[in-house]
Amino acid sequence: MNTTYVWAVVIGMGVVNFVVRFVPIAVVTRVQLPKPVKRWLSFVPVSVMAALVAGEVLRPGGAFPLPWQNPYLLAAVPTGLVFYKTRSFLGATVAGVAFFLAFRVLLG
Amino acid sequence: MPIFLGYFPVGMAFGILATTAGFGPLQAVACSAFALAGAGQFIGLSLMPAANVFGVLVATTVVNLRYVLFGATMSPFLRDTTLPTQAALAFSLTDETFAVNIADHQQGLASPSSMAGVGAIAWVGWVGGTMVGAYAASLVGDPARFGVEFAMPAMFTALLVGQIERKRHIVVAAISAAIAVPLVTVLPNKWYLIVASMAAAAIGAVVYR
Repeated sequence: MNTTYVWAVVIGMGVVNFVVRFVPIAVVTRVQLPKPVKRWLSFVPVSVMAALVAGEVLRPGGAFPLPWQNPYLLAAVPTGLVFYKTRSFLGATVAGVAFFLAFRVLLG
Repeated sequence: MPIFLGYFPVGMAFGILATTAGFGPLQAVACSAFALAGAGQFIGLSLMPAANVFGVLVATTVVNLRYVLFGATMSPFLRDTTLPTQAALAFSLTDETFAVNIADHQQGLASPSSMAGVGAIAWVGWVGGTMVGAYAASLVGDPARFGVEFAMPAMFTALLVGQIERKRHIVVAAISAAIAVPLVTVLPNKWYLIVASMAAAAIGAVVYR
């Protein structure tokens, strides 16, 4: 990737992340958000994560493999369980990579 | 301390993945230092280099729209603080610092200085982790044999499970995934992510009123 592109993303990310956090605090200390907007926002994170996981896990590298031949999908299930039990992002990520390697070996 | 321990390794993962994807180590560290946006940074990274700068920034913004809600939630007990204090707290607002600050607030322990301390610890853990990951990545060699390509899907899976507090979250997640899968092949540059998540959240907001 070229350097200008990466720097543009780095700086742009810094700016948009600050704006998206600061503007609401600066504004909402004065006004109330409408209830429907609050409700919509409350569902955004879970929707983003679900869409992302579906895309990354069901279609790794641009193809739809059969579920029982897809190490991404097979590894995602125990990874979710590990997080559910431990509530540790690090533990779940490390365990997930281990599951993934194991399934990749098993599937050849 | 749990915040630091939580951030450091994930920051390290970001450092490794970013340098693997083609960031220079300095760029990876700068990205963490300026943005301090765990999931937003990972999602931006996963869109690169296919998406243009605008696409990456839109995706980051959409993922971080939850901070609008967090900011709105914190605002009532920030009414008496000055604008620079609010700016500093906004900069260090993350899922984890929000959770800790709200918990402190409920016990009557939160003050602007305690919240600034929480933010500083998170920043040091995140940026320090990125630094170690970014500079150590070059010593590790080809990361594919360690299964690093599953590190991001694994973290997103954990984040997804972490978002599920009630049955309605499972329903909305299923709707979002069901919209996302057919769109994956139709829309370019992972725009499926933005369309599916905004639509599913809207359905959730209409159904669960």
